[in-house]
Parts: sequence; structure tokens; C-alpha cells
Amino acid sequence: MLLRLLSWPYLRKHRLRWALTLAGIALGVAVLVAMRVANRTVLAGFQKTVDGIAGKTQLQVHAGDFGFPEEVLERVQAVPEVQAAAPVIEAALDTGLPGQGRLLVLAVDMTGDRSLRDYDLESGEDAVVDDPLVFLAQPDSLIITREFAARNHLGPGSRVPLGTTQGIKWFTVRGIMRSGGLSQAFGGNLAIMDIYAAQFVLGRGRRFDRVDVRLKPGVSLAEGQAALKRRLGPGFEVEPPAARGRHLEAVLRSFSITLNLTSLFAMLVGIFIIYNSFAIAVTQRRAEIGVLRALGATRGQIRAMFLTESAAAGALGSLIGAAAGLGMARLIARYIGRLSAEAYGVADSAEQVSPEPSLLALAVALGITISMIAAWIPAANAARVDPVQALQKGKYQVLSVGENRLRRRLAWAAAVFAAGCLIWGRSLWVFYTGYVLFVLAVLLLAPTLALWLARMLRPVLAWIRPVEGALAADSLIQAPRRTSATVSALMLSLSMVIGFGGVARSIYVSLTEWVDTALNPDLFVTPNAELANRTYVVSEEVGRAIEKLPGVREVQLVRSARIPYRGTPVLLVAVEARKLARTVRPRMLEGDARQMYARVAAGQGAIVSDSFAELRGLHVGDVVELPAPGGILRLPIAGITRDYSDQQGSVLIDRTLYRHWWQDDSVNVIRVYLREGASLEEVKRRILERCAGQRLFVLTNAEVRRYILRLTDQWFGMTYNQIAVAILVAVLGIVNTLTVSITDRRRELGVLQAVGGLRNQVRHTIWMEAVAIGVIGLVLGAAVGAASLYYSLEMTRLDVAGLRLDYVFPAPMVLWLAPLILGAALVAALWPGEAAVRGSLVEALEYE
Amino acid sequence: MNKSAVGLLAAVMLVAPEEARQIVEEAQRRSRAASERYEGILEVTDARGRVNAKRWVYHRLGSHGDSKAVIRFVAPPEVKGVALLIINHPDRASDQWMWTPATQRERRIALQDRSTRFFGTDFSFEDLEERDVNQYDYRMLGEEAVEGAPCWKIESRPKQTRASQYTRSVLWIRKENYTFARIENYVREELVRRAAYREVHNVQGIWTPRLIEMHDLRRNSRTLLKLEKLQYNLAMKDSDFTLQALRREF
Repeated sequence: MLLRLLSWPYLRKHRLRWALTLAGIALGVAVLVAMRVANRTVLAGFQKTVDGIAGKTQLQVHAGDFGFPEEVLERVQAVPEVQAAAPVIEAALDTGLPGQGRLLVLAVDMTGDRSLRDYDLESGEDAVVDDPLVFLAQPDSLIITREFAARNHLGPGSRVPLGTTQGIKWFTVRGIMRSGGLSQAFGGNLAIMDIYAAQFVLGRGRRFDRVDVRLKPGVSLAEGQAALKRRLGPGFEVEPPAARGRHLEAVLRSFSITLNLTSLFAMLVGIFIIYNSFAIAVTQRRAEIGVLRALGATRGQIRAMFLTESAAAGALGSLIGAAAGLGMARLIARYIGRLSAEAYGVADSAEQVSPEPSLLALAVALGITISMIAAWIPAANAARVDPVQALQKGKYQVLSVGENRLRRRLAWAAAVFAAGCLIWGRSLWVFYTGYVLFVLAVLLLAPTLALWLARMLRPVLAWIRPVEGALAADSLIQAPRRTSATVSALMLSLSMVIGFGGVARSIYVSLTEWVDTALNPDLFVTPNAELANRTYVVSEEVGRAIEKLPGVREVQLVRSARIPYRGTPVLLVAVEARKLARTVRPRMLEGDARQMYARVAAGQGAIVSDSFAELRGLHVGDVVELPAPGGILRLPIAGITRDYSDQQGSVLIDRTLYRHWWQDDSVNVIRVYLREGASLEEVKRRILERCAGQRLFVLTNAEVRRYILRLTDQWFGMTYNQIAVAILVAVLGIVNTLTVSITDRRRELGVLQAVGGLRNQVRHTIWMEAVAIGVIGLVLGAAVGAASLYYSLEMTRLDVAGLRLDYVFPAPMVLWLAPLILGAALVAALWPGEAAVRGSLVEALEYE
Repeated sequence: MNKSAVGLLAAVMLVAPEEARQIVEEAQRRSRAASERYEGILEVTDARGRVNAKRWVYHRLGSHGDSKAVIRFVAPPEVKGVALLIINHPDRASDQWMWTPATQRERRIALQDRSTRFFGTDFSFEDLEERDVNQYDYRMLGEEAVEGAPCWKIESRPKQTRASQYTRSVLWIRKENYTFARIENYVREELVRRAAYREVHNVQGIWTPRLIEMHDLRRNSRTLLKLEKLQYNLAMKDSDFTLQALRREF
């Protein structure tokens, strides 16, 4: 009843403010929903691909991306618990078809693979392979999915270009898979090839990527796993196919953490917007509350009325947010999918988001709860309204006596605990507790700090415009509660942007330094169009041939791929350490460079990246155990260097060791140093001529540099979205605050106009107040952001990537943000300014 | 049921398996040859009536359960040179390798894969293996004429030591010359493949069906294998039945 009689008319009268409040809730919920749904969509897409490809496979035997010699297959097949074992090579190849990107090629031995996968071959009505013998006999055979065939107007006998180590080769469609099951993998961009043909066209030699296994009936997964591990030794991983999803999850973890934080900050900002709106509503409806109390309404009823309003706003805002979040999720999923595909070549094309009803319900519940929490203090204040004072015209009741002192004490206590966590904390849990306490401390201190800054700004504003400036500053000083929520929201948003932007900048600076020192060859020759892709390899003979070309001083052969290390994929880089020592001076974090290279070249040590060491708590002298097909390769750490080759960390060993333990002499990058005076273009031309007919890309140092920095920019693309969110929050908050400020100060502004104040003077007052809020938010945001950046860097080191980054405050970003935020504040003030000068003077002066 | 009837039934149950086994042994003995060579014409007719034809040359050294064979495709051009080496063992399933000249690679066909179709035909890899009498248990089911020829009808079940896709098979053996007239293969209780052996000729003293028709009842497709230029007991070398030999043309 109270809601219908009182709340609804008030809401209708202040539609804009409520719209802004709803936007505050919607924003937080939208980011939460978008992030969760996007992550889930990418992982679900990937899992669908994995499941589709796995078929009836129960266990997969692999030894990282390097693969293993063919003989391993017979060892697997000889295990009594194994019913069927089939070799697999899996690679994402460039299709060369317009708009189709990569085709996930699953290379199998069709004579036996049907024990594991259903290719719909025995469908009497619709046999998918025209002639299985021709399929096996001709190495250009390809089976494609019906979806891919339809998209590209292909049929049996059609030709499809694919990138191979011998350059673009044309394959013949000799079968089309029916829809469903296997053909759903990778969004239908899947093709089946004969495994021995794949070895040939991908330059894999006599190696397989993995062996898929089905166990005999009655053998449990654990029993099968144990039997295979016993037979194969510790150099092999034996895992169910679902484990591949967990690896992607690990890879996407840093992205998830960033998005989780964004969501958390958006929620916090939402709390302040809601708090602000309700605090203002309570102030404005004092008389109304007084009447209700005088008529017998209890304090509980008043509190319940405001809390119900907040719950309703929370529900509506959450629903809008959930809907918007689903839209955002599609964009984010596509973004993550593209990044993962580019960097890891694994993700599915995430076109369809998969919303989870329980998540949407949770998001709505969270939105309502947060809204009610944010409205709790204003609701409690409303319940405390004294009806006698409320009904006296022109009389105001101070509702926050003693609150400031208590808040400041709590803030200092939180700050002290936060500092304690930082100094003495050893675990992640303590670190994050410290971070939360730090945020709490600055939030509690925000009104006090905002007041101090407003006082400091007063002379400046008064100097710019004596009357309007002084009025604007006084408005902020006299009503700190009104502006503190906006300032807090703005401060939080900006600190988040500065924190993430700072990490991006630190990484950028560190990465540039790494690129300068480690990636210094003049040319990079690789069979892959992108360096991060390691699908194609070439024989080391190619490198030897390049070394003999005129103009070439030195060639360094590199083979890199991911291997599982304690359940996480890490990058193993096999290099010619002796040669590398002459050309690369890495930034040492532990150990001596000269001794390090000497030990690695002698096969007596490994170099690990800072992230590898940090995430696993390793130091020089500790032993790393690398699983290889030949067993476990144990090497002491000879040095820890700054290296950004891989997010999960990298281990560098000598090529001789690699060849021995992995029984492989392939190469995926050839580093080429030119003789002095040799022409880059000329040598590039000679390499391409010498290796004509082979899939080889010759990249200049500048091109590689651009590629790496572009990849980094993409990873940090989310930061730009966060900046957009921060600006949106700033505009929302400032519009909200000013709208209320004007409503609150109608009398004051009316008096100003009545005593001869010009409309422009009123406008300027409002504008200056808005800009002042922007300045205060900006200053506090920058200060809190500086501390937040420290936490973000520590988080990157301890939890996300193990990277030790230099603290580089993103000053250019702050300088760039300042006019943006102040401009946004000014724009936000335009409408409230007009509302102030166009309001009824009589109504405004009614109480006088 | 009276005592004499029970006794008769018990006697049939005890004697019949031995008799069935003796018949199969005799069929195997009569078809024994030191080596075999023929040119095969393979015609696969799918459920839609489309016909796919191939030709191969077959060489075998040794006999039942202890033999080696090479099948080499000679037509059409797309499959020319593809070869299959089969090493049969008396006590276990055979080893098989396939050679594809285009990739210059041999591949081992694993034990688990014997149930798959032999290169799009209605034969499975297992169907190409030679049956050794000792790898099965037999039971006489009675007598029945096939296409006018009186036959023994015998059930065979693989012994535990033998891995087979089939739960059991029913064999019809012509009384006249101990050649197979028909074989029906069952997976559990489902009849999945039926082979008919026709055009029986005496080649160098060995009665041999020159036409084998395999009907895959699940796919409803048929494969005809015609044996031409059939010869027995030719001089062949062990070294022609190795992986190295597979890689070179005959």
C-alpha cells in the first residue's frame, strides 16, 4: 500500500534518477553475467570440440605438443587393459577459403579409428566416403563436415586448398560427414585426413601427436590410467579427453581474473550509485516520512518501504543487466575465442552463447541483494527520522552525527590491517584480504578526503569565478555526503582503470625490453604464418641450407612446443645454447648469464622464465623434471631470466638434449643473423628462392616486434573496455549527483536568481560543481590507482602469470583520462544546469 | 521322455561335436596347398545399386593357420600398388600390414580393427584371414541343401584364445566335395554377414569355389569376388612375404 501510494508517485516524478540508479545495478550485473557466460561459452565450445573429436575415447596418451615416435602406439596397444588404441595428429590448418579461417584437421588411421569414432561410414543410405581404399591410397584425401561443405558449396570431388609444409596444397573431398557428433566439433570447421598423409604434409616425420584409447569393458579409468602409465613410463601423460578443457581453463585464467575484478568493481560502483540515489531520496522525502510517522507508521514500516523500493529497483536493474550481459557475452566470447585461437589454435568459434539459468537467477539475486545492502543505511536513516523535526519547514535533521568519526576510525583500522597483510602476508588468501581491506579503507575515507579536496579547490574555483566558483565549492563542502558516493564510484572506476592500464603498460615496457634483448635476429624463418602457432615444422636441413646462403652470418635452430609440467602446459624451447650465448643477453633474475649458458650448452642445466619459477616457487639449483617420450629429463635450473614466450612459463634447454630425449630433429623457428652490410631484402629473397616449394615465412625483426606487440595489445584490449565502463560510471554518477544537488538546492538557487543572479551564473555554478567532482574523483582515483597498480602487479606475480613486472605508473593514461573525465563531467552537468535555470522560481521559493 | 531317448540325445551331444570337427578338418585337408595365386575381381554393389570394381593379385604361401599372403591391388589407377600383407598364425589372430605407395608408408592393422570393412568391401579384415580348425569349437546342426547341393550344417564358435568379431558362425559344407557352400556370421543373435561360395571347379585336384559373394545384411550391400587364373603349388619365396617385399612391386 505504502509503495503504491508513496513510492510510485515519487518514482514517476524522478524517472531520470531512477533510470540512472537502474543503470548502476544493470552495469554490475551485466559485467558479471557477460564474463561468466562468455567464459562458459568458450569453454563449452572447446569442450564440444574435444568431446566430438574424442568419440568413444576414454583416455588420451600424449607427451605435450612435440608428439612422440610411432613405436609408442604398439606399446599402448600391447597393454592388456586396452581394447582399442588409435593414433591421432591434430592441427589447425589455414584453409585458404575466403572467410573460413582455419580448419581443424583430425588425422587418423581410418583402417582402425572407427573403433573410437563414428564417421557415419556404415550408414547404408548415405555412405560418407566414396571409396575408403582410394581415401587411404591418395594422400590428398579429405573428409569434411556437411556444414563446412554447405558453407563453401563443396561436394565429393571438390578441391580444398590447405596450407602444408610444402606450401598450399589442394586436397580432394572424398567424403562428407553427416551432421551431429564428430562433425559438430570446431563449429563444423573440421576435416578428417589420413594420419600418414598428415605426417607427410605437416612435416611431422614418423610421429604422432597422441594415442586415443578405449578400455576393455569392466576396466575402470583409474585402472586403465595406471596400467598405461606403468607401461609407458613417466614421460607420458594419460588423461581423459576432458582434461584438455582444464588446460584451456588454466590458459584463460588470467583473463577470468581480470574480468572477475572488473565485475567486482562494477558491482562496488553500482553500490555507490544506489546508495547515492537512496540517500538523496530519503533527504527529499523527509517531510513525507514525517507525515507517515505522525500518522502512525512504525520505523520498521518506513525501513521496509525503502528496502522494498531498493529490492524492486534491484530486480528490474538486474533483469536489464542480465539481458545486456548476454549481449556483451557474445562479444567477449568472440574476443576470447579469437585470442585463444590466435595464440593457442584451439578455441571453437563462439557464435552461440550458452546462458545458464542458475547463473541468471544468481545474478538477479545478487543484484537485489546488493541493491538492498546499498540502500540499507539510507533506509535506516529514514527510519530514524523524527516526525516533529521533519514537519517543520526549513528545519533539517542531521542524520549522521558521530558517523564520520566512526567511519574514519574503521578506515584507519582497515588500512593498518591492509598494511599488515602486505608486510607479513605469505599466502594468496592474506594478500587478497589485504587488498579488500585496502579498498575498504579508501572507501571509508573517501568522504573525508573528498571534503579536504573540496576545501583545497575552493580558492581555485573562487579565483576562476568568484561567485559561481565559491558557490560550487561551498555546495560540495556543505554536503559531502551528497557527493562522496559519486566521488567514491569515480575513484573506484579510475583506480581500476589505472591498475589494469598500469599492468598493461608495465608489461608493454618489460616486453619491449625482452623483445630488444631476446628477439634480436635480423630475420625469423618459420613454416607458421604466426610465431605463436607451432603447427608446422621443417627439417633442420632447411636451417643448414639457409646458413650457407651469402649474407647470412649465423643461423640458430629453435624447436618449441608445450609440454605438460605438473599438470599445466608450459613452453619447452630447444635452442643451440652455445650460439644463443653469443647473441642474447637476457635480463637475469637469478644466476650468472655466462655460467648459465655454459651449463645449458653442456646439457647440464635449464633456463627457466620468471613466471615458471615464480608460479612454482623455484630457484637456481632446484631441479625441473621434464616429461619426455624417453623418460623424465631432470635438469637443475641454471638461471632464471625474464622471458615472455609463454603465459604459463617457459623452460629452455639445449637442442642436443631435445634431439636425444624427444627423438626429434624438427625445427619451427630459424633465427637468422646477417653479415654486416648484407641487405635484409636480398637475403630474404635468397631464402625464399632457396626454399621454394616449402611453406616458409621470412619475417623481419620489425615484423616480429609488431606481431608481438599487437598480440599484447589484443590481450589488453579489455582494458579499453574497462576505461569505457569507468567513463560511463563517471557520467552516470555525476548526472545523478547533480540532478539531486539541484533538487536539493532549489531554494538556494531560487534565492540566487531572486536576488539578481543571472541564469548563466547558475549554469556556471552547476558546471563548476560538476567539474570539481570530476577533479576530486580524478585525484583520488589516481592516488588509489597508484596503490591499486601495486596490488595488480603483485597479483600478476603471485596469482595470474608469475611475471615480475617493473612498477611503471601509467602517467600518459592519466593525462589522457583527465580531459576525458572532466569533459564527461561537464557534459553530464548540461542538463541539470538547464533544469536549474528553467525551474519555477515561485515553487523554489515556496518555503521562504 | 524315456530313458532310451535320453541316452540317444546324450550320445548325439557327445558324438556330434567330434563329427562336425572331423568334417571341417576334412574340408581343410582337401583344400590344402603349398601356395596359391589368383587374380581377383572385386565388385561392390551398395544399397543404391552403385557398383564399384577393383582388381587385385593374391599370393599365398603355406596353408590354413600357418600361411602368409599378399594382396596387391592393380586397378583402378587410384589404388594401384596398395598392398596388404597377412601373416596367419595357428594359435592367434593374424598380423596385417597395409602398404600405400603414394605416402611410401606401411601401416599395421591392429587386432582391434579386424571387424572393420576391408577397404569399402563387404568383407571385414577378419573375413580375409584363413580359418584354422583348431581355433573353433564345432557343433553339428544337421543337414540342409544349399542351391540344390546337400550340405552338412555346422555351427562354429571361436575358442576363448581367438579374438573374433563374430559370436558364432554357421557353415554349410557340401557333402560332394567338402567345399564351403555358405557361411553365416552372427554377432550375438544377429545375422550380420552371409558368404555364398559358388562356381566350384577342380583346380589342380583341389575343389575351389571361383565366385564368393559376401552380403552385409546391416548395410544391405554385396561384394562379389571372382577368382581368375587360379593356380596352386607355385614356387614362392618366404622373402616375398615381408614388409620389405611389400614395398616393392612383384
